[in-house]
Amino acid sequence: MRRSRAGTVTINAVGVVLICVFAFPVYWMVSTAFKPTIDILGYEPNLWPSALTMEHFHTAVTRPLFFDYVRNSLLVATSTVLLSAAVALLAALAVARMQWRGRRGFLTLVLIVQTAPFEALMIPMFIIYRDLGLLDRLPALVLTYFIFTLPFTVWTLRSFVAAIPADLEEAAMVDGCSRVGAYVRVVLPLLWPGLIATGIFAFITAWNEFLFALVIMQTEDRQTLPLWLSSFRTAFGTDWGGTMAASTLFTLPVLVFFLAVQHKLVSGLGAGAVKG
Amino acid sequence: MPGQLARSGGPGDTRALPYLLIGPALFAMVVMLGWPVVSAVVISLQQLDLAQFFSGETVWVGFDNYREILTDSFFWTVTARTVVFTVVNVLLTMAVGLGVALLLGRVGRPLRLTLSAVLVVVWAIPQITATVVFQWLFDQQFGVVNHVLTSLGGDFRDHSWFSSGLSTFAIITLIVVWQAVPFVALSLYAAMTAIPAELREAVAADGAGPWHAYWAITWPAIKSMVMVLTFLSVIWDFKAFTQIYAVRGGGPDRSTITLSLYAYIEGIGKNHYGVAAAASVVMVLLLLGLLAAYLRLMVRSLDEDMTR
Repeated sequence: MRRSRAGTVTINAVGVVLICVFAFPVYWMVSTAFKPTIDILGYEPNLWPSALTMEHFHTAVTRPLFFDYVRNSLLVATSTVLLSAAVALLAALAVARMQWRGRRGFLTLVLIVQTAPFEALMIPMFIIYRDLGLLDRLPALVLTYFIFTLPFTVWTLRSFVAAIPADLEEAAMVDGCSRVGAYVRVVLPLLWPGLIATGIFAFITAWNEFLFALVIMQTEDRQTLPLWLSSFRTAFGTDWGGTMAASTLFTLPVLVFFLAVQHKLVSGLGAGAVKG
Repeated sequence: MPGQLARSGGPGDTRALPYLLIGPALFAMVVMLGWPVVSAVVISLQQLDLAQFFSGETVWVGFDNYREILTDSFFWTVTARTVVFTVVNVLLTMAVGLGVALLLGRVGRPLRLTLSAVLVVVWAIPQITATVVFQWLFDQQFGVVNHVLTSLGGDFRDHSWFSSGLSTFAIITLIVVWQAVPFVALSLYAAMTAIPAELREAVAADGAGPWHAYWAITWPAIKSMVMVLTFLSVIWDFKAFTQIYAVRGGGPDRSTITLSLYAYIEGIGKNHYGVAAAASVVMVLLLLGLLAAYLRLMVRSLDEDMTR
């Protein structure tokens, strides 16, 4: 397909516009976070900050309970990662390495849970957590995020396990390892990239989740960071500098993690599950 | 003695092993999906307000909750609104996503790399962050959008984007589409790059125009991906909550309440858990056909995967 010169220029121009449109909100968040208040509340917005300041970050982290929110978020996210990885790893070994009746049914169930609209079930889940005495307690959030991330983790680890040659374990078993021993000594060490990728996915899911944190956690000092971020606007009215600094702080770890594993997760179902 | 143990646990052990391994995952999935589904139905047949919530008393009311929402014209408005919101958002997401994917294939290399990097960054932005940032962009007094539109000759000084339902929905749609396009565009672009170069050259050598080439080569290569992405987008947008709730909590004047917010407000807001559960059941039923079609698609690709 030969293209005219004018056509190529137009296409590239559209490309530049798209880059600006998509990048601008992110740029505006970060630049507002570093701008002196005088720039933010000026009648003519400055595209570039006239000076850089850390005052908004200071405002954000010195708000009451900030470290409670951080601790809760970290606690919930790490617990979700560990629980999800442990349960999914066992299932992934069975699915990828063994022949057994019901394997197809099990994988279908994984797909069903993966697609299930849990958000539509927030009310029954709320009542169930009440019955279990888990309302307003972090374990309820961990359980919720565990079930959000389990299907994807099983699915992805399954393909990571399948990619490890079975000969390796067989050789270990010939050398006198038990079946379980062969998994622990041979498969597990090779599985780290998969565990890291799915672990990061689970971490991001738990870190970002808003609805269930809102529904289940009612006491302020037990809530997680997404609620901290949404409370900014109402509490502070128009402190946009502080709000954008908070947004930047909250988003930074997600961005770093996501960029690190993004290429590992982009494939079929996997990619689908990573949204928001 | 140890030998005997090993023998008795030998072959039987191996046969039981996979079931032991999937046990925890199976238990978790069955309980954590099955229980809420069953209990949604059970609660929807009860009167469960604040009094019953604290006393733990069970009051059966048959289909009263369903009668209540199905005869409430506001519920129908909300349902219709949710469907329209979903259709508009999915169409925009797919159209823009496809456009961006096609563009990625035709711009120069530096632009392609930059655009892909920007898309990945936007993809990574959490929903709550995106919502807060767009509120700042469209802020009435100091928002950059009002400044730019005013300097372009419009009168947008102190214009409030959140004073009418339609305008608020427009902003919500902008947030949803901005966040959803990267995943759609990058997935479609990946599907397009799988097309062999010889095929393109052969069609180009036949003197085919770009439209013909698109329908002959690109479309067949991305068709199934378009279908999967459309299904996923419908499911996601239909149950969207965070953006709508965080922008105005369903306001102004209840005009941006969708089904998710309806269930939330009835249940958590007004403590009418029975009514809210009935709304949840209706919501799941509305999604069910779609979910089933999507699952059939996924199970088919699972079967191909397993026979390979």
